Amino acid sequence: MERLDRLERVTDLLLVLLDTPVPLSLRAIADRVPGYPGSPTARRQAFERDKRLLRDEGVPVEVVPIGGEEQLGYRVDPDRYYLRDLRLTPEEQAALNLAVAGVHLGDPSGHEALSKLGVVGDLPGHPMAGALTVELPTLADLPALPGLFEALRASATVTVRHRGELRHVDPAGLRFRGGHWYLVGFDRDRDAPRTFRVDRIDADLEMGPSGSAVLPEGFDPDAAIVLRPWRFGADDEVVVDVLVDAAAAGGVVAELGPDAVVETRSNGSVVVRLTVTDQEAFVTWVLGLLDHGEVLAPAEVRARVRGRLVELARAPAEPA
Amino acid sequence: MTAPGDTATRLRRLLAMLAWLAQVGEAAIDDVAQRFGIAPDALVGELEMAACCGLPPYTPDQLMEIVVTEHSVSVRQGELLSRPRRLTPTEGFALAASARALLAVPGSDPSGALARALEKLEAALGAGALSVELDAPAHLEAITAAIASGSELEIEYHSASSDRTTTRRIRPLRVFAGEGHWYVDASCALAGGLRRFRLDRIGRMDTVLGLPVTPEPIAEELPAGDGSADGASTGGGRDLFVPGPDARTVRISIGADRSWLLDTLPTSGKPEVVGDRVTFEVIVGGDAWLDRLLVQLGPDARVEGPPEDAHRTAAVAARILGRYEMEKT
Repeated sequence: MERLDRLERVTDLLLVLLDTPVPLSLRAIADRVPGYPGSPTARRQAFERDKRLLRDEGVPVEVVPIGGEEQLGYRVDPDRYYLRDLRLTPEEQAALNLAVAGVHLGDPSGHEALSKLGVVGDLPGHPMAGALTVELPTLADLPALPGLFEALRASATVTVRHRGELRHVDPAGLRFRGGHWYLVGFDRDRDAPRTFRVDRIDADLEMGPSGSAVLPEGFDPDAAIVLRPWRFGADDEVVVDVLVDAAAAGGVVAELGPDAVVETRSNGSVVVRLTVTDQEAFVTWVLGLLDHGEVLAPAEVRARVRGRLVELARAPAEPA
Repeated sequence: MTAPGDTATRLRRLLAMLAWLAQVGEAAIDDVAQRFGIAPDALVGELEMAACCGLPPYTPDQLMEIVVTEHSVSVRQGELLSRPRRLTPTEGFALAASARALLAVPGSDPSGALARALEKLEAALGAGALSVELDAPAHLEAITAAIASGSELEIEYHSASSDRTTTRRIRPLRVFAGEGHWYVDASCALAGGLRRFRLDRIGRMDTVLGLPVTPEPIAEELPAGDGSADGASTGGGRDLFVPGPDARTVRISIGADRSWLLDTLPTSGKPEVVGDRVTFEVIVGGDAWLDRLLVQLGPDARVEGPPEDAHRTAAVAARILGRYEMEKT
């Protein structure tokens, strides 16, 4: 028998699975798709390999129990395979092309998405092409991100491992702020809104059934999002004043916003006021100012920073 | 002839070609071949193979109608394979995030073609819950304009890694957002080469009047140094920090129970776990950056080398402690 190109067999298989209104048994598939071996074992092996290839390429091959000898049937639901026609104008296609060319995620997924949409572009020879780009964190560093995006689309409760702890979250949004992706949602365990940095969530998340996520009425991810590390914890709220000298004042005001400034001194230094619910995270932040910053009040937070510095000043210099 | 690649690669390319051909109708063979990175005769082979695919009973009305002439190809039927396919979560995310990110660039048109495309895309994906925010630094538009016209700028720049402010004359070549900040790569007269600057650390800025110079091609390798991005990088082959000639490697260890911290640090190379300690390396472009890292890592962190940095943590802590010697309320 002439050996068929496997691509031809796989392409025929895809067509048959897409076209069938009812799940087909492997025998029925082999009747319709040329190129499968005659022996049942070899046929099963070849089919399983083809099925895996299609699934790896994102084709939703469904396995359904059917009556009869073979028990399992296969099909591809067209509704799950096709995207609604986007009816993109040529101008919109060109704009998406520019976006994928100018925004880097360290991954070809954007280009693959475009080719699925039939948008494979010549880039317009724009004089500024390549002169302005946006580097987003690479998807390789954010293994949980596609799964979270999917959970968001499906309104599904998602179980994630965040810094070694399992959390059950009803997702409300993904936000890119200050160079990081955040998941904003309602934490079922804490019974409160929570923000998680996506790069600290493990890859192996678990998605509940579609529609299982229930957000409190009027939940607004932009209002609920917490970006300051010293707001992440559940410590009692403490209002802290920090004196920042002139050299670092510009950066701190840019980071916190002008509303945080409660006093501007004649030498250019400023006093900023922060509400802290995670003192450890606050200490880390204020130490980052080095000797450009100093906690003024309250006394217990000042003592905590001072205590940390005393410890650091004694830290063993030689490897133990 | 059989086209290059394994079956999965060929299937992906075939489906992409059919989807694209369905959009354009007819196209020149050479054009299609170039777009999809395949030799013209291999392309014809793939399409002729696809033309034989179809549904039982393989009557012509069930076959894909792919017409290959001497110079051109067209697809008239074969809707089953040429309609746009659903995107994987990664693809959907990548496309929506790219569009959102470009729209977040200050000065982009919020109701232009990209915004309209994104709206259609999000409606089809069933997801609008994605947003991207980028800083809008004061000098961004002026720098973009300077790149377009090839003009030079005089800037006052504060380097956080050396904690010094300098005045420099630069010719900006490329501007980009990364890790939450905007950067400009520019040739710098003071440094005598290409340097990278963070836009929010540029103080005063003036355009240098004079004849615009002919732009030089942007070098692939950027020998940055004191104008660098503070030693920050995420890896992935596009490090924002490019070590300069004065950069040094410092080895630090922390308790292995805190090794998740390494995800957030610009380590170079592979961390090494020995017993209950994990040791990693960072490339340091300026002392202030290292000081900050060490005090933030806490008393548990130890400098393993070089020896001249071993006492650094204690010295920095003592310096900051100077501010806490007098009691305040």
